[in-house]
Amino acid sequence: MLERVTATAPVRAAQGTGPEQGREVPFRGGGFRPGQRRWVAPVLFVVLIALVEAGTRSGVISNLTLPRPSDVFATLVDLARSGLLWKHLAPSLGRLVVGASIGAGLGILVGVMIGLFTLVRAGLVPLVAALFPIPKIALLPLFVIWFGIDEASKYALIAFGTFTPTVVATYGAVDGVDRTLIRMGQSFGLTWLSIVRKIVLPGALPGILSGLRVSLAIAIILLVAAEMLGAEYGIGAYILEAGALYDLERLFAGVTVLSVLGLVVSFLIGRVERLLLAWRA
Amino acid sequence: MTTLSRRRLLGGIGVAAGAAGLGLPAFAAASKVNVGALRLVSHAPSFIALERGYFEEAGLDVEFSFFQAAQPMAVAIASGDVGYGATAITGGLISLAQKGVAKVIGGALREEKGIPGQVILASNAAYDAGLTEPAALGGHSFGVTTAGSSFHYMGSRVASAAGVDPAELQFRPLQKVGAVIGALKSGQVDAWSIVPNIAGSLVNSGAAKQIGLIADYIPDYQVTTLMCSATNAAEEREKTAAFIAAFARGAADFNAALVDRTADDADELAAIIHKYVYEDDTPEVAAKKIAAGAMRLSPGCALDLASVEDQLGWFTSEGLIRGEVSTEMLVDTSYVDAA
Amino acid sequence: MDLSLLDIGHSYGQTRVLEGISLEIPAGQVLCIVGPSGCGKSTLLRMIGGLERPAQGRVMTRGAAPEGCLNPLTFVFQDFALLPWRTVAGNVSLALEDHRLARARREAVIADVLSRTRLSDFADALPRQLSGGMRQRVAIARALAVNPAVMLLDEPLSALDAQTRELLMEDLVGLWSRAPFTAVYVTHNLAEAVRLGHRIAVLSRRPGRIREIVEIDTPLAERRTGEAGLERVQAHLWELMREEARAADAELIDA
Repeated sequence: MLERVTATAPVRAAQGTGPEQGREVPFRGGGFRPGQRRWVAPVLFVVLIALVEAGTRSGVISNLTLPRPSDVFATLVDLARSGLLWKHLAPSLGRLVVGASIGAGLGILVGVMIGLFTLVRAGLVPLVAALFPIPKIALLPLFVIWFGIDEASKYALIAFGTFTPTVVATYGAVDGVDRTLIRMGQSFGLTWLSIVRKIVLPGALPGILSGLRVSLAIAIILLVAAEMLGAEYGIGAYILEAGALYDLERLFAGVTVLSVLGLVVSFLIGRVERLLLAWRA
Repeated sequence: MTTLSRRRLLGGIGVAAGAAGLGLPAFAAASKVNVGALRLVSHAPSFIALERGYFEEAGLDVEFSFFQAAQPMAVAIASGDVGYGATAITGGLISLAQKGVAKVIGGALREEKGIPGQVILASNAAYDAGLTEPAALGGHSFGVTTAGSSFHYMGSRVASAAGVDPAELQFRPLQKVGAVIGALKSGQVDAWSIVPNIAGSLVNSGAAKQIGLIADYIPDYQVTTLMCSATNAAEEREKTAAFIAAFARGAADFNAALVDRTADDADELAAIIHKYVYEDDTPEVAAKKIAAGAMRLSPGCALDLASVEDQLGWFTSEGLIRGEVSTEMLVDTSYVDAA
Repeated sequence: MDLSLLDIGHSYGQTRVLEGISLEIPAGQVLCIVGPSGCGKSTLLRMIGGLERPAQGRVMTRGAAPEGCLNPLTFVFQDFALLPWRTVAGNVSLALEDHRLARARREAVIADVLSRTRLSDFADALPRQLSGGMRQRVAIARALAVNPAVMLLDEPLSALDAQTRELLMEDLVGLWSRAPFTAVYVTHNLAEAVRLGHRIAVLSRRPGRIREIVEIDTPLAERRTGEAGLERVQAHLWELMREEARAADAELIDA
């Protein structure tokens, strides 16, 4: 075998006279590997804003289509200076925290139950699948009757909206826990509770947290819907009022606040992930 | 604003009717017009004008675009997607007028004493607790669709007229009429004001109590107005005037048959309106509802400028609109016949 | 503690995987089970450890477990089965936490097994920071921590490269020589079987039956890779398995 390999080598070498002769093999392994470019996002953002500013100033973009970014910024500054920003933000944050905590908390609980118990899975998976696509906004009048017009209905709407995606993400994560780890736990005679607490829950945590990213974004989306229900203050109420008055500057100022809220939530979940999932590479 | 010069372009009923009578189409070829409408009795003049051929006689080939609420219709009119429509004066409409894209060109629905009009309602619970007249509104919640809607205006003005500081009312924005109905029924809001047919069914079914009439507190309230885009108002004068004239003929038929009851074609008109409104109901039920909800439509599409001025003043004082707004910004007075 | 398998048989649906397996596993010995892939040897091991229920037959234990034994039948898995979110010491600790041990006692046990597997310096490392061989040593340390009566090793070296495998075999022999334990060692690697097994049970292809049990008298500590006696045994085992392996290879997985 070895002899035959050495025998073919001279034939190949005979075609060129030196190692520099012939063609170099072209590189074709590039791409498909997203890297990090921290400056791209801010630059793109600034360029887009500048384009809109120039467009609205020159009249290419009519004042019916988009507000001037500088006016939106001025509106935001006014909002902050007058203290109205906090007056709107505080109740919204309260609704977000309470509603999302209830929804995500129950969602994780039910998701884990579905992941662990055959009977619960058989009963609840179709139910959750049926609840998931219901547009929560469509139930608005019903929520007024069920939970009243005050905070309870807002909590309920946000909780309902975050519940279903959390359930789906959680039981998917529990299903995804390495079965050999559970077998290992059983082989060492661990109690059922120990297996759930020390193997299933930590193993499902990455999936649960990435599900929470989606759920909390949905909670922010639903904030506007929730504040349709008789809210005098709140970022969602502020946006709705701006929309009703066709006040584009306030509308965009409110939307900007929601976007920032989304960024903050995403950043916080990233922090929690780094803290709790440090064991991942 | 009675000093305003009373100009009539093509807009009078007489001229249009005369042209039709002579069999002379106003334009050589019918021009296509998209008219925005809500499935409400207050939009009946448009439906009548189409079904009875008034639009056609005025040289307009009309197609309807239906909307769920006045606000998106106002935006569609401002953007030019819809040519004409009737809507309440809202903060949104004023804002669009400020941007120079929308104009009010006439009046439509109007409160008039002695004619069924909008009703002030109280929830059963609030009524039992003493809210039996608008003078007791202080400290109560009042349902509105959005801030700056006509409900908001009515609640505030009724309170003032009844001697209550409007700041003592809690206005609850609920986005949709359906949501306000639900809130009123369950006692989540204490009071509301609404067109007579909805109010009637709520009161008759025992779901709410009537505590007053809007006409008694906001006399001559110009509830809805005709509007179009600023471009149409300025550059399509003939078409715009033709629309106003045809709409006014529809309104005249409506007033005669269903409001003043001087004409005997009420059944025929109800059948026409039923094609667009209360489609789910039987013709008999629909006819009853239509008759019950028949409010006065401004004759000749005249606009009550005093009421418009009052509404503008209220929006400004409430801080619902930014900066200055004048009647001239909102109304294209060249079409308007002051009421 | 001795183990007896009495006429074990099993099917997955229509497929018969094990048939009439009877075996004696005396205390203090390592029994290797070899066979072509898919012959049901891992299934058999899970039945011995109580992780799977045989359709027929029974697995019996006889005699008491050694003093201080926390988990008589203890597995070492092919893919290590370490919790990636726990440190080396934490993974060993997992096996002890459900038993009422004083904190100091538990820490002493952990320190002892880590030193026996030469992992004392890595007590606070996470599994992802370790090489494959070290990970399996953690799994072995975890198994030793409960002082098992029988170790059930399911292809423990298959996921490792040849050099690491050689080193770990020496480790296992060292551990056994210092404190002999009972073990059932499932593998498809004949070299491992002849290095580590006092007795080697050869299974046929599906349905798995015992074809032959080979005994090797050479003490574990004296066996060396490439030694003539062991080579002969290995060649004999290969003769037994060759046809089975070829036939097994030609079968459809679900057939």
